[in-house]
Amino acid sequence: MKALKTLIDECRSGKADYQALIDRVPYARFLGIQVLAQGDELTFVLPKHDNLIGNPTLPALHGGAVAGFMEQAAIIFILLQMGEPKVPKTIDFTIDYLRAGLFRDTYAECSVTRLGRRIANVHISAWQKNRQEPITIARAHFLLSDDASPEITG
Amino acid sequence: MTEKTLPYTPKDLCNRFLESVRHSAVLGLEVISATPESVRLRMPWRDDLVGNPDTGVMHGGAIFAMMDQAGGMAITCRNFPTFEITPTIDFRVDHLRSPEKGKAVVCEATCYRLTTHVAFVSVTTWEEGGDDEPIATGLATYTRLKINKAGTMVGR
Repeated sequence: MKALKTLIDECRSGKADYQALIDRVPYARFLGIQVLAQGDELTFVLPKHDNLIGNPTLPALHGGAVAGFMEQAAIIFILLQMGEPKVPKTIDFTIDYLRAGLFRDTYAECSVTRLGRRIANVHISAWQKNRQEPITIARAHFLLSDDASPEITG
Repeated sequence: MTEKTLPYTPKDLCNRFLESVRHSAVLGLEVISATPESVRLRMPWRDDLVGNPDTGVMHGGAIFAMMDQAGGMAITCRNFPTFEITPTIDFRVDHLRSPEKGKAVVCEATCYRLTTHVAFVSVTTWEEGGDDEPIATGLATYTRLKINKAGTMVGR
Protein backbone atom coordinates (compact mmCIF):
# COMPACT_ATOMS: atom_id res chain seq x y z
CA MET A 1 0.00 0.00 0.00
CA LYS A 2 1.26 3.41 -0.99
CA ALA A 3 2.42 5.59 1.89
CA LEU A 4 -0.34 7.89 3.09
CA LYS A 5 1.79 11.01 2.72
CA THR A 6 2.72 10.13 -0.88
CA LEU A 7 -0.90 9.51 -1.77
CA ILE A 8 -2.01 12.80 -0.23
CA ASP A 9 0.71 14.73 -2.05
CA GLU A 10 -0.42 13.12 -5.31
CA CYS A 11 -4.07 14.05 -4.60
CA ARG A 12 -3.07 17.63 -3.89
CA SER A 13 -1.04 17.90 -7.09
CA GLY A 14 -3.73 16.24 -9.19
CA LYS A 15 -1.66 13.13 -9.93
CA ALA A 16 -4.01 10.89 -7.97
CA ASP A 17 -7.78 10.90 -7.61
CA TYR A 18 -9.19 11.80 -4.18
CA GLN A 19 -11.20 8.60 -4.46
CA ALA A 20 -7.98 6.63 -3.91
CA LEU A 21 -7.72 8.21 -0.47
CA ILE A 22 -11.24 7.11 0.43
CA ASP A 23 -10.85 3.63 -1.03
CA ARG A 24 -7.87 3.11 1.27
CA VAL A 25 -10.35 2.86 4.16
CA PRO A 26 -12.26 -0.45 4.31
CA TYR A 27 -15.27 1.05 6.14
CA ALA A 28 -15.54 3.84 3.53
CA ARG A 29 -15.70 1.19 0.81
CA PHE A 30 -18.26 -0.73 2.91
CA LEU A 31 -20.52 2.36 2.89
CA GLY A 32 -19.68 3.13 -0.76
CA ILE A 33 -18.48 6.70 -0.13
CA GLN A 34 -17.46 8.75 -3.17
CA VAL A 35 -15.98 12.20 -3.52
CA LEU A 36 -16.59 15.01 -5.99
CA ALA A 37 -13.71 17.44 -6.30
CA GLN A 38 -14.20 20.86 -7.83
CA GLY A 39 -10.79 22.42 -7.60
CA ASP A 40 -9.92 22.25 -3.92
CA GLU A 41 -13.56 21.99 -2.86
CA LEU A 42 -14.68 18.54 -1.88
CA THR A 43 -18.21 17.24 -1.70
CA PHE A 44 -18.59 13.77 -0.28
CA VAL A 45 -21.30 11.49 -1.64
CA LEU A 46 -23.07 8.52 -0.07
CA PRO A 47 -24.87 6.91 -3.02
CA LYS A 48 -28.13 5.25 -2.03
CA HIS A 49 -27.78 1.53 -1.47
CA ASP A 50 -29.98 -1.18 0.05
CA ASN A 51 -27.32 -1.94 2.68
CA LEU A 52 -27.73 1.56 4.14
CA ILE A 53 -31.44 1.26 4.89
CA GLY A 54 -32.54 1.69 8.50
CA ASN A 55 -36.29 2.03 8.10
CA PRO A 56 -37.69 -0.36 5.52
CA THR A 57 -41.21 1.10 5.46
CA LEU A 58 -40.40 4.75 4.63
CA PRO A 59 -37.75 3.75 3.34
CA ALA A 60 -35.06 5.79 5.06
CA LEU A 61 -31.33 5.54 5.54
CA HIS A 62 -29.95 4.28 8.86
CA GLY A 63 -28.90 7.20 11.05
CA GLY A 64 -25.74 5.29 11.88
CA ALA A 65 -24.77 5.00 8.21
CA VAL A 66 -25.25 8.74 7.71
CA ALA A 67 -23.20 9.45 10.86
CA GLY A 68 -20.40 7.10 9.75
CA PHE A 69 -20.38 8.78 6.33
CA MET A 70 -20.05 12.23 7.93
CA GLU A 71 -17.32 11.11 10.32
CA GLN A 72 -15.31 9.58 7.48
CA ALA A 73 -15.80 12.71 5.33
CA ALA A 74 -14.36 14.80 8.17
CA ILE A 75 -11.37 12.45 8.57
CA ILE A 76 -10.46 12.73 4.86
CA PHE A 77 -11.02 16.47 4.96
CA ILE A 78 -8.62 16.96 7.88
CA LEU A 79 -6.02 14.56 6.44
CA LEU A 80 -5.76 16.82 3.40
CA GLN A 81 -4.98 19.80 5.63
CA MET A 82 -2.31 18.18 7.77
CA GLY A 83 1.36 18.90 7.12
CA GLU A 84 2.39 15.43 8.31
CA PRO A 85 -0.70 13.39 7.53
CA LYS A 86 -1.59 10.69 10.03
CA VAL A 87 -5.09 9.23 10.33
CA PRO A 88 -6.82 11.40 12.96
CA LYS A 89 -8.52 9.66 15.88
CA THR A 90 -12.11 10.63 16.65
CA ILE A 91 -12.37 12.02 20.18
CA ASP A 92 -16.08 12.80 20.07
CA PHE A 93 -18.79 13.02 17.45
CA THR A 94 -22.11 14.81 17.97
CA ILE A 95 -24.89 14.69 15.42
CA ASP A 96 -28.26 16.44 15.15
CA TYR A 97 -30.91 14.78 12.99
CA LEU A 98 -33.01 17.49 11.37
CA ARG A 99 -34.93 15.62 8.69
CA ALA A 100 -35.45 12.02 7.67
CA GLY A 101 -32.64 10.77 5.45
CA LEU A 102 -34.72 9.33 2.63
CA PHE A 103 -33.61 6.53 0.35
CA ARG A 104 -31.63 8.71 -2.02
CA ASP A 105 -28.09 9.97 -2.52
CA THR A 106 -26.68 12.01 0.37
CA TYR A 107 -24.03 14.71 0.16
CA ALA A 108 -21.75 16.16 2.81
CA GLU A 109 -19.38 19.05 3.14
CA CYS A 110 -16.98 19.85 5.96
CA SER A 111 -15.45 22.95 7.42
CA VAL A 112 -12.63 23.01 9.89
CA THR A 113 -13.46 25.44 12.68
CA ARG A 114 -10.06 25.07 14.30
CA LEU A 115 -7.04 23.06 13.32
CA GLY A 116 -4.70 23.06 16.29
CA ARG A 117 -1.45 21.19 16.67
CA ARG A 118 -3.11 18.31 18.47
CA ILE A 119 -6.84 18.79 18.16
CA ALA A 120 -9.12 19.67 15.27
CA ASN A 121 -12.72 20.85 15.49
CA VAL A 122 -14.77 20.10 12.39
CA HIS A 123 -18.32 20.91 11.36
CA ILE A 124 -20.06 18.60 8.90
CA SER A 125 -23.34 19.18 7.11
CA ALA A 126 -25.24 16.58 5.06
CA TRP A 127 -28.11 17.12 2.66
CA GLN A 128 -30.13 15.36 -0.02
CA LYS A 129 -32.35 17.84 -1.92
CA ASN A 130 -30.27 20.97 -1.48
CA ARG A 131 -27.57 22.12 0.88
CA GLN A 132 -29.83 24.78 2.43
CA GLU A 133 -31.96 21.97 3.89
CA PRO A 134 -29.51 19.72 5.73
CA ILE A 135 -30.80 16.37 6.93
CA THR A 136 -28.09 16.23 9.61
CA ILE A 137 -25.40 18.47 11.01
CA ALA A 138 -22.53 17.26 13.14
CA ARG A 139 -19.47 18.49 14.90
CA ALA A 140 -16.52 16.44 15.95
CA HIS A 141 -13.14 16.68 17.62
CA PHE A 142 -10.19 14.72 16.35
CA LEU A 143 -6.83 13.95 17.89
CA LEU A 144 -4.16 14.68 15.31
CA SER A 145 -1.07 13.59 17.15
CA ASP A 146 -0.34 11.04 19.84
CA ASP A 147 2.96 12.68 20.70
CA ALA A 148 3.46 13.22 24.40
CA SER A 149 2.66 16.72 25.53
CA PRO A 150 5.64 18.90 26.27
CA GLU A 151 6.25 18.85 29.98
CA ILE A 152 4.45 21.61 31.78
CA THR A 153 6.83 23.37 34.08
CA GLY A 154 6.44 26.14 36.60
CA MET B 1 -51.96 -7.38 28.98
CA THR B 2 -48.97 -8.45 30.97
CA GLU B 3 -45.64 -9.57 29.66
CA LYS B 4 -46.25 -13.16 30.76
CA THR B 5 -49.29 -13.62 28.52
CA LEU B 6 -47.45 -12.44 25.42
CA PRO B 7 -46.11 -15.05 23.03
CA TYR B 8 -42.91 -13.04 22.55
CA THR B 9 -40.32 -11.37 24.75
CA PRO B 10 -38.56 -8.00 24.40
CA LYS B 11 -35.58 -9.95 23.01
CA ASP B 12 -37.78 -11.57 20.34
CA LEU B 13 -39.07 -8.13 19.38
CA CYS B 14 -35.50 -6.78 19.13
CA ASN B 15 -34.42 -9.71 16.99
CA ARG B 16 -37.37 -9.25 14.65
CA PHE B 17 -36.62 -5.56 14.48
CA LEU B 18 -32.94 -6.19 13.74
CA GLU B 19 -33.81 -8.53 10.86
CA SER B 20 -35.87 -5.81 9.22
CA VAL B 21 -33.16 -3.14 9.51
CA ARG B 22 -30.87 -3.91 6.62
CA HIS B 23 -27.96 -1.72 7.69
CA SER B 24 -27.83 -3.30 11.15
CA ALA B 25 -28.02 -6.76 9.63
CA VAL B 26 -25.07 -6.08 7.30
CA LEU B 27 -23.09 -4.73 10.27
CA GLY B 28 -23.60 -8.15 11.84
CA LEU B 29 -25.37 -6.85 14.97
CA GLU B 30 -26.67 -9.47 17.41
CA VAL B 31 -28.96 -9.05 20.40
CA ILE B 32 -27.31 -10.45 23.53
CA SER B 33 -30.02 -9.45 25.97
CA ALA B 34 -33.05 -7.20 26.04
CA THR B 35 -35.12 -6.21 29.06
CA PRO B 36 -37.17 -3.09 29.95
CA GLU B 37 -34.05 -1.89 31.85
CA SER B 38 -31.40 -2.31 29.17
CA VAL B 39 -30.43 -3.78 25.82
CA ARG B 40 -27.09 -5.35 24.93
CA LEU B 41 -25.89 -5.66 21.33
CA ARG B 42 -22.76 -7.23 19.91
CA MET B 43 -20.88 -6.38 16.72
CA PRO B 44 -18.13 -8.71 15.51
CA TRP B 45 -14.81 -7.26 14.30
CA ARG B 46 -14.65 -7.52 10.54
CA ASP B 47 -11.97 -6.33 8.15
CA ASP B 48 -14.47 -4.37 6.04
CA LEU B 49 -15.41 -2.27 9.11
CA VAL B 50 -11.86 -1.09 9.71
CA GLY B 51 -11.37 2.67 9.82
CA ASN B 52 -7.59 2.86 9.93
CA PRO B 53 -5.91 0.36 7.58
CA ASP B 54 -2.57 0.91 9.33
CA THR B 55 -3.83 -0.27 12.73
CA GLY B 56 -6.90 -2.40 11.92
CA VAL B 57 -9.00 -0.46 14.43
CA MET B 58 -12.75 -0.55 13.78
CA HIS B 59 -14.28 2.68 12.43
CA GLY B 60 -16.03 5.01 14.88
CA GLY B 61 -18.94 5.13 12.44
CA ALA B 62 -19.63 1.41 12.79
CA ILE B 63 -19.50 1.71 16.58
CA PHE B 64 -21.81 4.73 16.39
CA ALA B 65 -24.33 2.81 14.26
CA MET B 66 -24.43 -0.04 16.81
CA MET B 67 -24.90 2.40 19.70
CA ASP B 68 -27.68 4.32 17.91
CA GLN B 69 -29.45 1.04 17.13
CA ALA B 70 -29.13 -0.12 20.74
CA GLY B 71 -30.51 3.21 21.98
CA GLY B 72 -33.63 2.86 19.86
CA MET B 73 -34.11 -0.70 21.07
CA ALA B 74 -33.73 0.32 24.71
CA ILE B 75 -36.75 2.60 24.24
CA THR B 76 -38.67 -0.16 22.47
CA CYS B 77 -37.99 -2.49 25.41
CA ARG B 78 -38.90 0.08 28.02
CA ASN B 79 -42.22 0.60 26.19
CA PHE B 80 -42.74 -3.10 25.64
CA PRO B 81 -45.18 -4.33 24.40
CA THR B 82 -46.30 -0.97 22.96
CA PHE B 83 -44.38 -0.29 19.78
CA GLU B 84 -43.33 3.21 18.80
CA ILE B 85 -41.17 4.67 16.07
CA THR B 86 -38.40 6.69 17.74
CA PRO B 87 -36.18 8.69 15.40
CA THR B 88 -32.95 10.00 16.90
CA ILE B 89 -32.93 13.74 17.68
CA ASP B 90 -29.28 13.96 18.63
CA PHE B 91 -26.48 11.65 19.64
CA ARG B 92 -23.07 12.31 21.09
CA VAL B 93 -20.44 9.62 21.31
CA ASP B 94 -17.11 9.93 23.12
CA HIS B 95 -14.42 7.54 21.94
CA LEU B 96 -12.51 6.86 25.14
CA ARG B 97 -9.91 4.57 23.60
CA SER B 98 -9.43 2.47 20.47
CA PRO B 99 -10.85 -1.05 20.54
CA GLU B 100 -8.28 -3.75 19.89
CA LYS B 101 -8.02 -5.13 16.35
CA GLY B 102 -9.88 -8.41 15.97
CA LYS B 103 -12.09 -8.03 19.05
CA ALA B 104 -15.88 -7.89 18.91
CA VAL B 105 -17.52 -4.94 20.64
CA VAL B 106 -20.54 -5.01 22.94
CA CYS B 107 -22.75 -2.11 23.99
CA GLU B 108 -25.40 -1.64 26.62
CA ALA B 109 -28.11 0.99 26.18
CA THR B 110 -30.53 2.25 28.83
CA CYS B 111 -33.50 4.53 28.39
CA TYR B 112 -33.20 6.34 31.73
CA ARG B 113 -35.99 8.86 31.27
CA LEU B 114 -39.14 8.82 29.19
CA THR B 115 -41.31 11.94 28.79
CA THR B 116 -44.42 12.40 26.65
CA HIS B 117 -42.43 13.30 23.57
CA VAL B 118 -38.79 12.56 24.30
CA ALA B 119 -36.72 9.56 25.39
CA PHE B 120 -33.30 10.05 27.03
CA VAL B 121 -30.78 7.29 26.50
CA SER B 122 -27.25 6.45 27.58
CA VAL B 123 -25.03 3.84 25.95
CA THR B 124 -21.71 2.32 27.00
CA THR B 125 -19.49 0.19 24.75
CA TRP B 126 -16.76 -2.30 25.63
CA GLU B 127 -14.59 -4.82 23.90
CA GLU B 128 -16.15 -8.24 24.33
CA GLY B 129 -15.04 -9.74 27.62
CA GLY B 130 -13.60 -6.47 28.93
CA ASP B 131 -16.48 -4.98 30.87
CA ASP B 132 -14.35 -2.81 33.14
CA GLU B 133 -12.80 -0.40 30.62
CA PRO B 134 -15.30 1.15 28.21
CA ILE B 135 -14.13 2.10 24.72
CA ALA B 136 -16.99 4.54 24.11
CA THR B 137 -19.88 6.23 25.87
CA GLY B 138 -22.87 7.93 24.30
CA LEU B 139 -25.78 10.16 25.27
CA ALA B 140 -28.78 10.62 23.06
CA THR B 141 -32.33 11.86 22.76
CA TYR B 142 -35.02 10.31 20.60
CA THR B 143 -38.49 11.58 19.79
CA ARG B 144 -41.53 9.35 20.30
CA LEU B 145 -43.85 8.89 17.33
CA LYS B 146 -47.07 7.14 18.24
CA ILE B 147 -48.77 4.96 15.70
CA ASN B 148 -52.48 5.76 15.61
CA LYS B 149 -55.31 3.29 14.94
CA ALA B 150 -55.15 3.99 11.21
CA GLY B 151 -51.53 2.83 11.27
CA THR B 152 -50.00 6.22 10.52
CA MET B 153 -47.35 7.96 12.56
CA VAL B 154 -48.26 11.04 14.54
CA GLY B 155 -46.18 13.40 16.61
CA ARG B 156 -43.31 14.91 14.63
